[in-house]
Amino acid sequence: MAGFFFLFVKRSFSNPPRFLLSPKIPILCSSTSSLASSSQTLARAFKNVVGGGISGFPRVSVPRWLSSQSAAVPDLKTADGLTVDAIAAKNWPILGESESDWRSHAAAIAQSIQLIKKRMQWRKLIVRLDQMSAALNKPDLWDDPVSAGRISREHGELLSKMKEVNGYEQELLEHIDLMKLAREENDEELEWESMKALVSMRRNAKEKELEALLSGDHDSCSCFIEVQAGAGGTESMDWAAMVMNMYKSWAQRRGFVVTIVEEMPGEIAGIKRATIKVDGDYAFGYAKAEVGVHRLVRISPFDSGKRRHTSFAAVAVIPILGDGSTRYQIKESDLRIERFRASGAGGQHVNTTESAVRIVHIPTGISATCQNERSQHSNKASAMAVLQSRLDQLEMARQAQLNAEHTRSLTDISWGNQIRTYVLHPYRMVKDLRTNYEVSDPESVLGGDLDGFILNFLSYLLDKDEANV
Amino acid sequence: MTLRFPFTVRSPLPPVFASSLHRCLSIPSPSSSSSPTPLPSSDRRPPLFLRPPTFAASRSDLHDFRRWAESLALAAGPRISASDGGPDAALLRREIAWLVEDATVAAASESGVGEELRLRVELEELYRLWRARIEERRPFQYIVGCEHWRDLVLVVKEGVLIPRPETEMVVDLVAEVEGFEKGLWADLGTGSGAIAVGIGRMLQEGGRVFATDLSPVALEVARLNVERYELKDKIELRRGSWFEPLRDVEGKLTGLVSNPPYIPSSHVPGLQAEVGQHEPKLALDGGEEGMDHLLHLCEGSASALKSGGFFAFETNGDEQSEFIADLMSIKFGNFFHNIKLIPDFAGIQRFVTGFRR
Repeated sequence: MAGFFFLFVKRSFSNPPRFLLSPKIPILCSSTSSLASSSQTLARAFKNVVGGGISGFPRVSVPRWLSSQSAAVPDLKTADGLTVDAIAAKNWPILGESESDWRSHAAAIAQSIQLIKKRMQWRKLIVRLDQMSAALNKPDLWDDPVSAGRISREHGELLSKMKEVNGYEQELLEHIDLMKLAREENDEELEWESMKALVSMRRNAKEKELEALLSGDHDSCSCFIEVQAGAGGTESMDWAAMVMNMYKSWAQRRGFVVTIVEEMPGEIAGIKRATIKVDGDYAFGYAKAEVGVHRLVRISPFDSGKRRHTSFAAVAVIPILGDGSTRYQIKESDLRIERFRASGAGGQHVNTTESAVRIVHIPTGISATCQNERSQHSNKASAMAVLQSRLDQLEMARQAQLNAEHTRSLTDISWGNQIRTYVLHPYRMVKDLRTNYEVSDPESVLGGDLDGFILNFLSYLLDKDEANV
Repeated sequence: MTLRFPFTVRSPLPPVFASSLHRCLSIPSPSSSSSPTPLPSSDRRPPLFLRPPTFAASRSDLHDFRRWAESLALAAGPRISASDGGPDAALLRREIAWLVEDATVAAASESGVGEELRLRVELEELYRLWRARIEERRPFQYIVGCEHWRDLVLVVKEGVLIPRPETEMVVDLVAEVEGFEKGLWADLGTGSGAIAVGIGRMLQEGGRVFATDLSPVALEVARLNVERYELKDKIELRRGSWFEPLRDVEGKLTGLVSNPPYIPSSHVPGLQAEVGQHEPKLALDGGEEGMDHLLHLCEGSASALKSGGFFAFETNGDEQSEFIADLMSIKFGNFFHNIKLIPDFAGIQRFVTGFRR
């Protein structure tokens, strides 16, 4: 893309094609800027080059939405007044990617943009951005530096998210303009370049659609996944271990780094409870779809009578907000730190590799334990990270209650209802009770093939939201 | 009766192995009752995790080892923990995971590709090591040659006390002292050098730790740890008893820390096997009441510390701590003030701290 930009500039210096001299210059300038990776800088650079080097370009300007700091949302149009929505409404037939029909590419991209906006809840974003901008303009903003920091961070994130989509829209419109120009001018080289650009945009669109599913507040964070066995003894502890293994394999397949934080084994088999840390981009965004109770129906290998059993395991997912964005300020004096499973005289009397630590946050009663690190110091640090995330989550839930708009995230994140059933006997099926998505191969699901369930739920969630708006 | 190594069997272990093993173990072997013989062959070698991965084994070989080691742990764990509060089966199984972690090359063990794994010891040595862990109750930290302590990985070996998790807090206590970063500190009876390295890493320009020990083995290990953390210009190791090697800095010290031997002599024979049979008595036995060395430290602190200087001592807990605190605030009340008892994470009053007037 950047290469295209330079090529373009060079051409304009040596032998400017006629269309460059037409009144559509501003669009061309912004076209090059949005093609480049750092659009603002390059737009400015281009402006300087053009302004200083060539005369007769009276209307060179950076598009308003790029330069402006306000929440103003641009009305993006082609030179002849087409918007993305208008393009989509034309219902141009969408052919295969290999077909050299620019209308088909444009229609496909326009559809994707509409879907992306829908998934991002575009109208809500505009309202939110305006609220944030208004809040930022209040003179007493910095009286509360913590909240001010949060507002300006959210404003920045929102703005950059929206700019990205607007840039994408802009890119489409400009390629259409270029395409039309190229045809008017019979510039085959330019036509070919534009076609190529449209095809590559169309290829990227699918990926962007998927990314748009993960545009929630903390979706990009790493997370903790906790699994807890329901009532029912060994059979349900075994089920909890199966669920935990499913997430470990799923996370590893996705390229996330999995660390075991805490594991309470069952007496005979399985786990009573376990927590893993899943490190990687968008770990929380995906894993949040798994919150709730998972139900298993099978002939229990632990039942000598070979009867059919139903067991439950509850899954919680907590985002790790990371430094600088923690929501809850923990006071050292509010903590009670205990040696886990300590007994006897301790000190020089005892040699043990067990150095597990439990940290209790006294005001809330929330606690965290870590036992899988090899030093007490590391166990403590790890337990502290879990505790911080739990308190952050609590704080977010509290704020969400104050702010009715965000109530959804509260119900999504907390321990939820039964979400999925895994039947191994008498028939074989895994069915999501929220989306009705089902798979007839439980082994593959338990082996970590969860993406179908997750993506289905994420799009279902957005559709539901859309209906509520 | 002789124990054969299972790797000579070659085939996967039959299910009866655990029970036959249990039978073997219930007959006391002559070596586990006598005092331990440090393994001279392994003594000079670096800890497991620092050795070059010059050996190889197949994934299934390692799997067999784990199965064998776990069956040993499951069979012996309950008995060990019931007899003297030693490790139970769950803890032993975690140790197996760590042993494998230290003995293999991490990258290879993570990825699912390739049948060959690179090892830092021969597979047969791995069997021998784990057998020593279970049968001789050799401390896990001596087996792998290291102890994870705070955010450090310290080299340890027979002849030097394995730093305890409780002692990590001494470093935190030092970090709370105003201006500690540029001060002169002494760690008396440094052992592996754990506290000294912990403090040394926090010091700034001008800050220094004098770490003393009577034991040449301890000083050798401490030197390894100081070098591994590149603290040669911050930590000075000196051989000698308590204050003896510190005459030149008398009255100049910002702070004094120590984890001296504090176990009453009468308790030593009943200690957990890992401790009583393997760790150096010199670092454990505190005399009749356990306070011989602590009292010596209390008496010497007044002249060693400068005005405003800080001390922190680890003790056997509650009663000893109260006794030491009383001594410092009543008998030596003219020299010290702001005496505090600090509990460890198990709630035992583990440390006594205070300041020189």
